[in-house]
Amino acid sequence: MYGGGNTFEGIKTDSLAQEDPVKLAEFEARIARGEKIEPSDWMPQLYRKQLIRMIEQHAHSEIIGALPEGTWITRAPGFKRKLALMAKVQDEVGHAQLLYSAAETLGKSREQMINDLINGKSKYSNIFNYPAFTWADSCFISWLVDAGAIVNQLANAKGSYGPYCRALDRICAEESFHLKYGHHCVIYLATGTPKQRAMFQEALNRWWAPMMHFFGPSDKISAHTEVLMKWKVKMASNDDMRNQFLDMYVPKIWELGFTIPDPKLRKNPETGRWDYTEPDWEEFKRVINGDGPCNKERLEVRRIAEERGHWVREALKAPKASYVMPLA
Amino acid sequence: MNSLDPRVNRLPAVGVPGQAEPKAPMDQFGTFEVFVQPRDGKPFQHEGVVHAPNLELAFVLAKEAFTRRFLCVSIFVADTRHVHVSPMTEGNDSVLNYIRDVSLQRSTKETYEIFQLPKRGKQHLQAGQVEAAGPEEAMAEAKKILPADKVIYNLWVIRTNDIRYTRPEEKELWLTLPEKKFRDASDYKGGDKLKEFLERAHS
Repeated sequence: MYGGGNTFEGIKTDSLAQEDPVKLAEFEARIARGEKIEPSDWMPQLYRKQLIRMIEQHAHSEIIGALPEGTWITRAPGFKRKLALMAKVQDEVGHAQLLYSAAETLGKSREQMINDLINGKSKYSNIFNYPAFTWADSCFISWLVDAGAIVNQLANAKGSYGPYCRALDRICAEESFHLKYGHHCVIYLATGTPKQRAMFQEALNRWWAPMMHFFGPSDKISAHTEVLMKWKVKMASNDDMRNQFLDMYVPKIWELGFTIPDPKLRKNPETGRWDYTEPDWEEFKRVINGDGPCNKERLEVRRIAEERGHWVREALKAPKASYVMPLA
Repeated sequence: MNSLDPRVNRLPAVGVPGQAEPKAPMDQFGTFEVFVQPRDGKPFQHEGVVHAPNLELAFVLAKEAFTRRFLCVSIFVADTRHVHVSPMTEGNDSVLNYIRDVSLQRSTKETYEIFQLPKRGKQHLQAGQVEAAGPEEAMAEAKKILPADKVIYNLWVIRTNDIRYTRPEEKELWLTLPEKKFRDASDYKGGDKLKEFLERAHS
C-alpha cells in the first residue's frame, strides 16, 4: 500500500534532446498503444530515473509504514485482531520486497536503495512520520491511509512499466483485505462505548491533516509533468486523487457519526468537487525534510534492524555468488 | 531513543545513531526467480524474485513472499543466473523466428524446462520440457514443441537440475491455505453491525 504523494524531481526536460529521436518515437508509440515497457526494452534516461525514484519511494513507504502498525500487534484487542494485524503487517513488508525488485530491474541495487533510505536521501510517504498514540490511530491507518494508498495504486497499476504494474496488481489484490479489516475495526469502535467512539474521534482529529497532505501538493502543470503523464509514469494529478479519496470515504466517516475537523469541507454542488481548507504545505515541507515527530525514530529503527541482521547475512553469504539484474 | 513505543525504547543501542555503514555489494544476496502453480495440471507461472543466499532459502522465502493466499499447489525457484533468455519481440513478430536451429554434437543431453511469454506485459508460463545438450539447443528444441501459429514474445530455458522443485511431501505446505480466512477480505463483514447502528441513529 502506501504510495501516496509522490514528489518528482525537477529534472530538466532538455535531457530528452540527447535521446535518439527514432527510438524515442517508437517508445512513445508503444506506450500510446497501451503496451507495457519491459526491462530489456529501450527507454529514455528520464523515464528510468523517475520510475526508480517513484518505485523506490513506494517500497520505502511500505517498510516504514509497517512500523507504526507493527508496534500495535502485541496490544491489539484480542486474538483475532492480533492475527489480522500480523497478517497485514507481513503483507506490507512483502509489498516492499515486490517493489524493491521492480525498481531493481531498472538498474538500482537493493543495497543502494537501503543505503539511501537509512541516510535520509530517499523519501517515503510523509504520513508515517506521525505517531500512532492509541489503538484507534492504528485503525485509522488500516482503514483510511490504506484507502488513500489504494486510490493511488489503482491509478498507477495502469501505468506503462511492466514489472511495476505486475507488482501493483498483486499488491492491490491483497489491499482489499487491509481495507475491509480497517473498516471492520472502525465500525467496532464506532458502535462501541462512548469511550471507544471518543478514542476514534481523537485519532481522526490527529490524522486528518497528514491525510490531506498524503496525496501531495497541487501539481504545477509543467512540461515535465506533461511528459511523465504522456509516458504513463504519473497517472493522475495529486488533486484528482485527493478528490477521489474524499468522494469515496468522507460519506463513510460521516455515516458513522464522526466529525471531520475541517469546517470548510463539503462537496461543491456546482463543481462536483470537494471544497476544503487548504492544507498547511509549510508543515508538510518541514516534516518531509526531516523535522517531523517521528522521522528520526523511523530511520533509527530501520538502521538498528539492518545492523543487527548484519552478522546473519555475513554468515549466510556464499563466496561464489555474483549479482545479475532480475528478469521481469 | 525517546519513543512513545516501549518496544522501540527497548531496542539495543547498536552502532552510532544516525550513521549507517554503506552496504557492501551482495549484502542483500543475489536473486532467484519464483514460479507458482495455482492448481494441479495448470502451468507454472513466473511471479517475481526473492533475494536469498542459496537455492534452499530462496524456496522458503518464495513460499512466504508469493503464496500467503490464493491457490497454490506447488512452487519452484531457480537462480536468476541460471535462466537463459531469448531476445524480446513485439507486434506480430514471434521470437521463434529468431531461434536458430542448433544441434550440438554432444552425447550427454539434459532436461530443460521451457517458459514462453504469450503476451507482452504478462508473466512467463511454463511450456514443457525438452532434452538438449545446452541452452542454445534447448531453445531450438523448444521451437518444435511450441505452437507455430501463436505469437510468442520471449523464451526462457532453465536446466532442470538448476531448479529447486517442490518435493511431494512438501505439498502439504499449502493444504491449509483455504483455512487462513483471516487473510481474506470476506472474513471482515461489518455490515450488520453498521446497519443496526444506523437504524438506531435514525430512530
